[in-house]
Amino acid sequence: MLEIIAQAVVNGLLIGGIYALVSIGVTLIFGVVKIVNFAQGEFVMIGMYISFFLASSFGVDPLLSLLISMPVLFGVGVLVQHFLIRRVLALGDMPQIFLTFALSLLLMNVALLLFTANYRTVQTAYSELSFHIGPLYFAVAKLIAFGIAMLLSAVLYLFLHGTDLGKAMRAAAQNREVAMLMGINPDRVFCVAVGVALALAGAAGSLLMPFYPAYPLVGQIFVLMAFVAVVLGTLGNITGALIASLMMGVAESLGVQFVGADSGLIVVFVMLLLTLALRPNGLFGGWAR
Amino acid sequence: MKSGFLTRSWPLVLALAAAALALPIVVSDPFALDISIRVLLFAFIGVAWNLMGGYAKQLSLGHAAFFGLGAYTSTILLIRFGISPWIGILAGGVVAMAASLPIGALCFRLRGPYFAIATIATAQVLMLLFLKFRDFAWGAEGTTLPNLGDAPLMMQFESKAAYYYLALALLALGLAITYRIERSWMGFYLVAVGEDEDAAEAVGVDTTKIKRHIYLISAFLTALGGTFYVEYIYFIDPNTAFSFNVSVEAALVSIVGGVGTLWGPVVGTALLEATSALLQSWFGSGHGGVQLTVYSLILIAVILWRPSGLIGLFTDLYQRFTAGSARAKEVPLDG
Repeated sequence: MLEIIAQAVVNGLLIGGIYALVSIGVTLIFGVVKIVNFAQGEFVMIGMYISFFLASSFGVDPLLSLLISMPVLFGVGVLVQHFLIRRVLALGDMPQIFLTFALSLLLMNVALLLFTANYRTVQTAYSELSFHIGPLYFAVAKLIAFGIAMLLSAVLYLFLHGTDLGKAMRAAAQNREVAMLMGINPDRVFCVAVGVALALAGAAGSLLMPFYPAYPLVGQIFVLMAFVAVVLGTLGNITGALIASLMMGVAESLGVQFVGADSGLIVVFVMLLLTLALRPNGLFGGWAR
Repeated sequence: MKSGFLTRSWPLVLALAAAALALPIVVSDPFALDISIRVLLFAFIGVAWNLMGGYAKQLSLGHAAFFGLGAYTSTILLIRFGISPWIGILAGGVVAMAASLPIGALCFRLRGPYFAIATIATAQVLMLLFLKFRDFAWGAEGTTLPNLGDAPLMMQFESKAAYYYLALALLALGLAITYRIERSWMGFYLVAVGEDEDAAEAVGVDTTKIKRHIYLISAFLTALGGTFYVEYIYFIDPNTAFSFNVSVEAALVSIVGGVGTLWGPVVGTALLEATSALLQSWFGSGHGGVQLTVYSLILIAVILWRPSGLIGLFTDLYQRFTAGSARAKEVPLDG
């Protein structure tokens, strides 16, 4: 029994690393640009298809294609911010919510038209590989994905705290007007923030590819998880999103183990509703409204 | 309230109503009638959503919860207890109203995007639950409704025209309720909540109570649409009844047409469904993504260039038209 629980926790933590990349992106955009990006999951989907086509056409390993999917999605992020999000920043809730929502619908359905609803998988040498530590079983592909996800999160943390651009982003997140008075160009900072967030989503896509199928609606699962994690981890709080994502992974995995294979999502949604009811500001606090 | 379009223009409303009533007599093509029924139904659901999302600006993305509860309540009453859907449709509405209370209690503390996300979650939880209720709600397989032939007392009709008039009656009901609310104190409170909740609260509006009341009405109406829909297609399963697309379409038609206006959802639905029908005849129904691709492009275009919705275009045209004719009448007086 204890072993089953421990195994479920391990599996949950490993997939939680991927959720973390998606949630950190959502919370970063929210923190800096003050927009909830409903399309974040679709950028994971795009990352997956980039890796899939690089693997099937040129035999590029999905982990290596990270080096392509991340910069491509960074570019996409800059374009999305410049041509779409920037234009609704001065408008109310409705255009802000429904713009990224429409973008999500658009990307999903264009993917459906271009790639059909078929599941696409990539087989790598390590896709089926696993090893044991004591009674616990570790899938190599998931472990690598988890490791790189944590590495990228750490790099982002260092970027935000150690570089001028990162500090400018945090300043703009705290107070847009004062940041502008200090000579920070908000447009540039916003473009970088959305770019970085989308690059993380692209990374999540590439990391998933060795063990997860790509299909047009795949982003939905990840964005829902991310929303829950972001609310649970207090909107705009990157460390909070990371911890909450790992918790979500574990909760989902325990739900699947003990309530039934199709119950992972119920557990997640119930956690979201409980969080909203009991701690609407998230587990990590202060930020109100 | 700036949604005076057509409410001051009784001749135009009467002409529209006459055209709507005459349509099944003139048009006998089942495909065209089917599209008209869908236009009326989704316009009605849009009108129901608009009370909540348009006037009070509570951007729900979970109205499928009420659509599904309405659909399931009447179907369970029909199949398990043999109760007519005419009673079931009201029972469904009451169940949806009851469900809106706890959902509202949970979600009303949240604003903007959080409210939207929380409503998505409630609709999804209901769908997942109904997938699990195999014993009394048929689980994932769903069920077909018994075909009783021409049984008006059981809300089943041979002719499509009957369904058309039923859908038209629902839409008329929704519009009449919206019209009444727009002109009542509640309407002013709603707009105050929509403009600035804190300010409304500060001048003494009980915002939570107002939101609760309008949510009750909106949920009730949406549930009527749910019952009508399953009675029309003779089939129910959780993915149809609690479909995320229902939540999306309810919001989408209102936004494209114009949120917080009486006729916005009608204009939006007419435009979107007409587009979708055209696409179907061009591409066939085999291409899954075409319709939603075009919908989302329209939505993005509207948000970027006309966030107040397309009804403004029609208002301008109509005003230019009436102003033009008024001027034409003035000419002989001046001369």
